Order: sequence, then C-alpha cells, then structure tokens
Amino acid sequence: MGRLTDNRRPVIAGLGLTEMGPVYGRTATNFATEAVRLAVADAGLQVGDVDGLLTSNGTSGGVGLGLQRDLGLLDLRLLSEVQGFGSTAGTMVQVASMAVQSGMADVVACVFADAPLRPGRSAGDVYGMGRRPDAGGGGAAALPPPAGWGGLLMATGVVGANTLYALAARRHMLRYGTTTDDFGAIAVAQRAWAVHNPHAQMREPITLDDHRRSRWIADPFRKLDCCLVSNGGVAVVVTTAERARSLAQPPVHVMGWAQCHPGRLFDRDENFGLVTGAARSGPQALAMAGVKIGDIQVAELYDCYTYTALVSLEDYGFCGKGEGGAFVSSGAIGPDGRLKLNTGGGQLSSYYMWGMTPLSEAIIQVRGQGGGRQVHPHDLALVSGNGGILDHHATIVLGSSAT
Amino acid sequence: MSVGPVARNGSTEEFFDGTAAGQFLIRRCSPDGHISRPQARQCSECGTTELSWTAATGRGRLISWVVIPVRSGEGESPRPPIVPAIGELEEGPWWWSMLVGADPDSLAEGQPLRIEYQRAGDSEAVPIFVVDTTPRDT
Repeated sequence: MGRLTDNRRPVIAGLGLTEMGPVYGRTATNFATEAVRLAVADAGLQVGDVDGLLTSNGTSGGVGLGLQRDLGLLDLRLLSEVQGFGSTAGTMVQVASMAVQSGMADVVACVFADAPLRPGRSAGDVYGMGRRPDAGGGGAAALPPPAGWGGLLMATGVVGANTLYALAARRHMLRYGTTTDDFGAIAVAQRAWAVHNPHAQMREPITLDDHRRSRWIADPFRKLDCCLVSNGGVAVVVTTAERARSLAQPPVHVMGWAQCHPGRLFDRDENFGLVTGAARSGPQALAMAGVKIGDIQVAELYDCYTYTALVSLEDYGFCGKGEGGAFVSSGAIGPDGRLKLNTGGGQLSSYYMWGMTPLSEAIIQVRGQGGGRQVHPHDLALVSGNGGILDHHATIVLGSSAT
Repeated sequence: MSVGPVARNGSTEEFFDGTAAGQFLIRRCSPDGHISRPQARQCSECGTTELSWTAATGRGRLISWVVIPVRSGEGESPRPPIVPAIGELEEGPWWWSMLVGADPDSLAEGQPLRIEYQRAGDSEAVPIFVVDTTPRDT
C-alpha cells in the first residue's frame, strides 16, 4: 500500500468487446469471461495480473462473484457485484479508480455481460415492454397475482422501460415544446455515426422520414427511438498511470467522476422528465477534472431512448434547459455537427451493453482508434450512465493526459 | 382494456380497505398534517414516521400520458390503445395508473381527472383515471 501520488492516478488501460448482437448459444458468464480476457490482453497484461474484479449483471444473471473462479483469479484484493442499472459501468470505473488510487488494488477488471436474446423472443419481451395488465393465458393465470405497490403498477399497465421513459419524454414535450421530430434527429444522427462502426448492429443510414414512418411503441416513442437489445460482453481494465506507462495501449486517464441519485418524492412541483441527475453529477465531475463543458470534444451520453440523450444534453449544459429539441434539430449533432455525440451510434444503433456502450466508445475515441468514425481532436471525453427510470446517474471525464 | 389482478400485502392492506370502500387513501403526518403519497414511509416534508391514513378527494389533473397501441387479432374489431398516465392529486401526490375511456388525441396537460375503481374478477379494487367532466370552481 503506497502513499497517494500522481503515479497512482487512475487509467483505463484495457478494453475488451466480445461479439455483440443476436449472438445465440452462449451464456452471459461465457461472454463475461471472454470480455475480461480480451480486455486484459488488450492492455498487454496477463489474467493473473488482475487483483480486483467488479461485475455487472444484465437481465440474465451469471455475472457475479463466481466469475473469480471462472477466471481462475486467486487472492483478489477487491471483488464485488455492482448494481446501478445503466449507471453501473460508471460506478465500476469510479470504484476501480478509487481502489487503484488508494493502493487497495493495482489492476481492476470491470465487466458487464448479458444474454437476454433467444431465437423467437422479442426485445420487448426481455424488458417487460409487451406486458398487458389483462393478458390472460393459462401460464399467467397459474401465477399468483402481483402484490404490493409494484403490483398496482402491473395491474394498471404502468410498467416497462418504454412506458415509463415515454411518460418522462411526454412531460419534456409538454413543458418545452420538444417534438417527436427532435427525437428523430437524434436517431438519424446516431445512425449516421454507426455506419462507420464495425461493432454496430444497425449500419444502414436512416432519414427523418424513416423515423416518422417507424411504428409507435409507446407514443411519443417510435421503434427508432428505442435502444437495441444485445447479447455480449464488455470489460475494461483500470490501473495506475505508472503501471500504464509500460502497457500496450495509449493511456485513457480517468480525470473526473461523480454520481447523482435524485430520489424523487413524486409530489407537486416534481421535475421528473424535465431534469436528470446529470445536472448535478456533470458539474461535479467536470470540476474534479478541472475542465469546463465547452472543453469536451467527445460526448458519449447514455441513450436508452432518443429522449434520454436529449435531456442529458441539456443537463450537462451542451445547450440550455428546454433547448435540447432545437439544438439537435439544428444540425449540431451527427458526423458533420459541431458536437461529436454518441460517435459509435450509441445504444440506438450500435450495441446495448448498458453503460458500457458509451464508455467503450469513449475509450476508443480518446485512444484515437475510431477508424472511419474517429473524431479530431479527441483528448477530452465525457461519458454518462443513466439507470432505472432516470433514478441513477454516473458521469466520467476521460482524457488522453492526466491533466 | 381492464385492470389485472393484484394482491394485498403488509404495505397495502389499509389502502385496499380504502379502495374497497371507494376511497383513495393518502398519508397525513400527525404532527403537522402534511400530505404524502400512499407509499410514503415517512412524511415527505418533515420526515416524521407518524403517519395516518386520510381520504383524498379522488380528483386531480393530468401530468403525462403514453399511448400504447394494442394489436387486434385477425377478424377482430380494432382494440383501443392502453393509456398509462401520471395524475397529480388535488392534495399534491402523484399517482400512476391507466387512463380509461378517453380519446388519446383529446388529452392535454392539466386536464381534470377523477379516480374510479376496477376489479379483475374478485381481486382487489384498483384505482384508475377517467377524464373528469364535472365543473370545478378552480
């Protein structure tokens, strides 16, 4: 255990992406172990060098503490399963950063993996979006009715991420005049980025008319407003700046980080749908990094829905509150726009690995390994993670140098 | 669209006693009379855990809503969409339920709502929203 020095500043030194998408016949555990092995090899390390492991389950389970055994890791100095839904990836990198900075551990692997897709099972089934309160059928009838306050929501159809985020999005529209075409502008811009991303599941360009013709899932959301669902795994390796100097990849410095969990009361004057945790975690993370929002060159914002990216743009201060719709419809985003937002296509068009989607793309961009989608300059990136129904928010500022 | 079944548990027992009698119960803090939503375990204003149940008027206004298309089977007549909604009770708390019987194209923020009750078979009475057309002083 050393003293805190600049040499122990946190760096992301490894990134591992498995195949992602409708990839069948593999378990989440299987994806997770491969992702860690890939990330460790990417860094130029051995699996046995890992002395800290943080895991994140998606919906299918099997990515927990048992991963230590699956990877043959002995005498770990940090091991935990982390849960903050879409903010988990950010939390894992934050905890790993504090662990290496303090000397608690030297090489921390953080991994998310999920395998919710099966042949013949829709994305909606996976996240409970297709549920109807009065859905009958012998199987459902055999189950006991749902109980508690959550049971009331199920009984009245107020369930599933699509519905709950659409309620938030409608509120934004009513208050600020945001339109479905504004949401469409985000879908179109991100698809234009995904065209150049070999990891992306959806690489055919789309137009605003395609968005307008896309079927309603939960009005105001059309299909093209909703993220993909993917099987696969992503891992990153966090170590110290000193250790990273002799490793294989350009170091990606973790310069600043913060979280905000609003904890809403759902009473008169509630700002649900209008403001997210990013409004607080953003300024705190930027201050820690010693930079301003205008300095950010690459923005990788959590986009479970087009709306989520839009409201996050406002909360981080890329545009004013309530101006997100006009901002994205002005041509400010997309490959030719002035703000380089969700440069891999995001969760709408590339792959849905929860918070690992924006994080992995930011690492690729800061390293300068973005190929046909590489942005310039790429020395400072902001990454967001959003979990629950706007309940949990994590922000990370990444840079090509420590300061 | 009708509601599904729901079972009572230790947290919802009194609430469902209320809905069975056609009352929407909310929490009132004993020291100061602040109102909190039915799920509250402490007063949302002063933090006290001394809460009693009190009947809300059952009137509120529309905060947000979603329109979910429902596919009808072959040869079936078209089915109305499901409209999950957030309503703000006159007393302040928000409630989340389906809005029944309204034309989705006619909905507007702030529209007056009223709570009614539906049951799935002999299950608990479940609060739903309907558009309230009775005149209001405000």
